[in-house]
Amino acid sequence: MTCQPAAISNDLNNLPKLPRWVTSGRAETLETVTFRSGAVLTVLDQLVSDPRQGVPVKLLANRLALTAAVATSKLEGRVAKEADIRDAYHLTPHGEARGPDGDLLAYWRKAARLRLTRRDWHAALIALVGPEFEMHVDGWLQSAANQSQSHGPLTECVAVMRSVLQADDRAERVACLMSDIVLERLLNWPSVLPISAQYLTKAMLRDLLGNGQGADLVVQKRILQSIEEAIRLARNLAQRRAALRKVAPKLRAKGSDAAVALFLSEDAVAPSTMLSPMIQGTSFPMTDRAARRFCDRLVELGVAQELTGRSTFRLYGVV
Amino acid sequence: MTVDAKRENAKPKGAGREDVIDRELEDLPQELRWREWMGRIEVVLFASPIPVGRDDLARIVGQGVSVEMLIEDIQGELTGRPYELVQTAGGWMFRTKTQFAKAIKAAADLGDQTLAFTEMEMGVLCAIAYHQPIDRAGLKDIFGKDVSRDLLARLRFKDLIASGPRSPRPGAPHTFVTTEMFLVTFDLQSLRDLPELSLAV
Repeated sequence: MTCQPAAISNDLNNLPKLPRWVTSGRAETLETVTFRSGAVLTVLDQLVSDPRQGVPVKLLANRLALTAAVATSKLEGRVAKEADIRDAYHLTPHGEARGPDGDLLAYWRKAARLRLTRRDWHAALIALVGPEFEMHVDGWLQSAANQSQSHGPLTECVAVMRSVLQADDRAERVACLMSDIVLERLLNWPSVLPISAQYLTKAMLRDLLGNGQGADLVVQKRILQSIEEAIRLARNLAQRRAALRKVAPKLRAKGSDAAVALFLSEDAVAPSTMLSPMIQGTSFPMTDRAARRFCDRLVELGVAQELTGRSTFRLYGVV
Repeated sequence: MTVDAKRENAKPKGAGREDVIDRELEDLPQELRWREWMGRIEVVLFASPIPVGRDDLARIVGQGVSVEMLIEDIQGELTGRPYELVQTAGGWMFRTKTQFAKAIKAAADLGDQTLAFTEMEMGVLCAIAYHQPIDRAGLKDIFGKDVSRDLLARLRFKDLIASGPRSPRPGAPHTFVTTEMFLVTFDLQSLRDLPELSLAV
């Protein structure tokens, strides 16, 4: 087994450009959390909706989908590790059953591809939440839209989570998804980022459902924390994208542009299936050997790393 | 082929059927329309050996009519009957109540329809349910001996398990995962309904 050095990111470069008064203050009350969420959401909004910031949004969404899958696996009591989930998703032959772990990642990746501006988004949403909630969905979104006039976005996220859990206390993933959707709609983003689930625990959701004291505040703080983390990740990925772009001219392999584009949208790339015989999503052919060499070259240039630590069935991602 | 894939394949066929029956029944008074829709749903479920999904049922009743409400009304009429209309993995189906299992066994020769498991089959099925995706090597670790391919083939034949992701080991063996039929057979809505194991990890 090859040992991968832990990626130590240079924190000075990666720190979010958040004002000191946002990062230094500790959130203590609903009011301060609401206040800070405004600042944090503004920064994230700029990062994902302004292409000049150079954030690879698709890659960001897929990364967040993976961590959301890990978090919801825990919420649902299966406790699958990140590597298991990634393997289950990427190593399933096309058309065969992925199993619960792979299905969970597929769920969040589908969520991340929801385009709220498209006409059929409602049907796509029903497909994700399941027909049993079809009757509720409009009501949830409507009441969130109504109340957001007077309350902050995080209050709405928590309110919609509670409504979902009241309908079915085991629908954790639906609760988190609806919260994400409420956030996207309030911020008018074109697509959904799987943010809400990241730092939640079962106990928090139980308290939320039981109207425990301060339960709202706890969940809001965690969502705030994951928005901050998403900002850090977004800036980090923007830097990686810049680094990859810089070395791209040195890659003289045929179809390397398409392959680089794949690395900038997928969190894990399996050379044997996603780059060859055809680069995924394109019609550029690439041989098995060329795909392996291409990935090795990226690692050599320091812009990608092997994610699994295995000598076979390797998966690569930008570093 | 997965259940999902089967469903997707089935869709185009269904699309052609839509014109054949009058879904809206506009010339009937409201009360009778509802009756007719309930009847349609009931016969479709009665005729089908596998659970029928919501989309398929929506195709035989009026546009935008709630299948759930129709089913609730049917269920209301079935209270006290020895069979029930239940929601199970991805759809609804008719099912005899478990308390009458003995009567059915005594009267009918179930022959090869029976799902009777050997102890080992049941053990392997449980191991797959809790540890999926798991390959043969993983099962060997659990049972301390090789699990025969025949046994796995029998479980697969009964449509209780299917091929999952490739295991990242030499030879890329398939792993095994449980199917929707597994959920239906053991009356589970999802894998979360599996009894919790009190194994200290």
